[in-house]
Amino acid sequence: MNTVEFRKNLFSDERPENLSEIGRPTVRQDILGHVTGRSAFYDDHQFDGLLHMRCVRSPHHHARIRSVDFSNAERMDGVRRIVGPNDVPKNLNTLLSLINFGKEDEPLLSGEKTAYRGEPVLAVIADTERQARVAASSVRVEWEPMPHVLDVEEALAPGAPTVNETYPDNTFEYHERYDHQKLRFGDVDKGFSEADRIVEGRYRMSPIEQAPIETCGAIAAPDTGDRFVCYTSTQALFFSLATTAKLLDTASSRLHFIGGTVGGGFGGKVDSIVEPMAVLGAMLSGRPVKFMWDREEEMQVGAPRGAELWIIKDGVAADGRILARRFTGYFDAGAYTRLSSYAVVKSTGHLPGPYTIPNVASNVYCVFTNRTPATAMRGFGITGVDYAIECQMDRVAEAVGMDPVELRILNAYRDGDMKAHRRVAKNTALIECCQVAAEKAGWRISPDSTRQSSLEGGGGRRAEIPETATDQIGRIGERRRSRIPVEPLVGSGPRGRIPAGTAGPAVEAAPPQRPDMAMDWEREKSAADFVREPVKRPKTATQPQSRLAAAPEPLPPAQEKAEAPYIPKAPFNRGVRKPGVSRFLSGTRRR
Amino acid sequence: MVEVLAFESIAQAAAALRDRTVYLGGGTLVMRAVNFGDSSIERIVLANDPSVKAIRTEGNRVVLGSGATMADVLASKETAFLASVARGIGGPAVRSMATVGGNLFAQHPYGDFAAAILALDAKLSLTDGSEIDMGSFLARRGSLRSLVARIQFERPASGEFHFRKMSRVKPKGVSVISIAALIPNSAGRVSNARIAYCGMGETPVRASAAEAALEGRTLDPQGIAAAVSAASAGLAPPDDAIASSWYRKEVAPVLLRRLLLGEAD
Repeated sequence: MNTVEFRKNLFSDERPENLSEIGRPTVRQDILGHVTGRSAFYDDHQFDGLLHMRCVRSPHHHARIRSVDFSNAERMDGVRRIVGPNDVPKNLNTLLSLINFGKEDEPLLSGEKTAYRGEPVLAVIADTERQARVAASSVRVEWEPMPHVLDVEEALAPGAPTVNETYPDNTFEYHERYDHQKLRFGDVDKGFSEADRIVEGRYRMSPIEQAPIETCGAIAAPDTGDRFVCYTSTQALFFSLATTAKLLDTASSRLHFIGGTVGGGFGGKVDSIVEPMAVLGAMLSGRPVKFMWDREEEMQVGAPRGAELWIIKDGVAADGRILARRFTGYFDAGAYTRLSSYAVVKSTGHLPGPYTIPNVASNVYCVFTNRTPATAMRGFGITGVDYAIECQMDRVAEAVGMDPVELRILNAYRDGDMKAHRRVAKNTALIECCQVAAEKAGWRISPDSTRQSSLEGGGGRRAEIPETATDQIGRIGERRRSRIPVEPLVGSGPRGRIPAGTAGPAVEAAPPQRPDMAMDWEREKSAADFVREPVKRPKTATQPQSRLAAAPEPLPPAQEKAEAPYIPKAPFNRGVRKPGVSRFLSGTRRR
Repeated sequence: MVEVLAFESIAQAAAALRDRTVYLGGGTLVMRAVNFGDSSIERIVLANDPSVKAIRTEGNRVVLGSGATMADVLASKETAFLASVARGIGGPAVRSMATVGGNLFAQHPYGDFAAAILALDAKLSLTDGSEIDMGSFLARRGSLRSLVARIQFERPASGEFHFRKMSRVKPKGVSVISIAALIPNSAGRVSNARIAYCGMGETPVRASAAEAALEGRTLDPQGIAAAVSAASAGLAPPDDAIASSWYRKEVAPVLLRRLLLGEAD
């Protein structure tokens, strides 16, 4: 049965005719291994003398650590090593430091306090998993529970407990200026005053655990050449490798990461927590070490899609046109930033959804609470706010007494329209999507709505950037001192106006370092080749942008003397059974 | 290390029970706990005892060995009326391992079969030679130092035994609640009904208020109205990841009505 129906007449000039994968059965590249039970997961790799690592975790949402007594655990059978915060060479990190975004805020093992339930404070390495588990449960931690906050709005109130000392106001800091990400386009207050109806809605999303069948974990083992091999469940191999190198303060060239088949990820395996732990264990014990979360850990400390709260206020004309839309959004990051700061920026770029609304303003907060740190999940940063926007659209339709599909078609963005983040919309297809969905569902829409097209009616006045109202409310730390409004453009303080047509500074990509590194567009086949208005492409031949070509640096002087031949300082004594093969690596479980 | 002791008879296995020791029936609960790191289990005892695997009848009584699996119950014609209960437990892999005896000890939210045994007013023969009814067993099962060898009950007349299960995942989800009911009928009127729930308490429990409200009534919408409205009376179902206590209380009357009237789910 073929249930796929193609509407190839739509956007036929935007894609080549040879796109034919959809609607055809395609064999997944790894499916043969899966159905025959031969795919090797990280846990299928077997090592001689494998040790097991388990963490001691906080039972409190927020607590200071008064003392840790692991003397019993140390003496237990099979226990090889206790790993504490001081054993982590660089015990503070933020994931997005790899792209220079945010401040270091999260320890691998916490020494002074814990900010979410299940936060690890100590790890035990033992011969068997059971021994590690029993030893970990025998560690006595004297906790001093502290007041905690589990709700984003409460976390912003003056006097709320500070969750994360790096961000004492419980908010991520944007542009070194505000405690939230602002978006201003036009003047929402003017839009509200021109509107016939005001429609407000409040939408709350709970965290969602990705729940992979294979829990997060990694096995690391000392390898030849003073390196470490690490088999991991990561979804982001090089990201995990770089994070491990940073936390362990070692050269990334010493780490050999092997990923591969992931037993379900969905965004929940990018946080690079298990890899540094396993490699650290292997470094400290000199043996292969497995660090694997059990199901309870996966659910309790595995980072979920974070909770979100969106408050939307719309100004609507009697005919259904939305004249102004104002968002106040909160991403609950949990105790540490991980990737939530980025979700805020990504969602802001998506506002106000696939609609052309002349006045848009948003304040979006990345808030720290004493919940499990949140991370990516499918549609990261967009899914939650889209849910809120579409619920709001239904509410607007009800308020103005209009068909919800027709309301969407009326307000839908069209090719050439200006988006709120000041980029021109293209490849818009919401109108066609609504039309086909209505037709398939047997939902009757008016002939006028049926006639609409996303290729027509866009641009022109809809492409103009309006005069924009601005404010400077919500500077870093301000909210801590007094209760100030969370919504955009509400409250007292200096206001500004940006003249119509101001597009903001253009962001240009860094030029290629050398001419031969420049992309040869003629050889690239991408969707960009098929856009209706051909994009202007840099002509590499006439752009001597390379720094090397523009100002050639003098080469360093050649070394005068050849270096002496390498002589090892000590005789090689790492017990390798076969040259070039790790003495610990003994194969995989399934062949 | 976990020590495993295998015995020839269930009585020997029972004698080996002490602290931090568990008896392994089919292993679907015990081995999951062991594999998931339950370090309170230091010793596993099991018995390769054919006498507790049998399903037979003695006159009008059905005798279920505690080691009979759900698959055995499904395969035996003596227990055809229990097929819907057995089929509702796990998938084929679980059913081929999970035992009747294990289900009697299963913690909430498991225990659909135990609810059926409770509804059937069964007597349990323990390895210490004593006999105990299902109600008292459920009250004491946490502290029991004996094992259950056999379960005996009177075969219900045709059409007297009913079972309904509501789960959020189909076909092999855990029960939100399930209801097993023995509804004897004389001259069109219900007498001495026994209704048991799984999921409405920490152990399978009887719906005493609904049973009383059904006495002498007919099985039609008016006759059962009082029983349906008393379906959750006096019960405090737990909150868990499967369902909230409130939801279970709301579902119970709906499922009981369907069961009593034979309505489709």
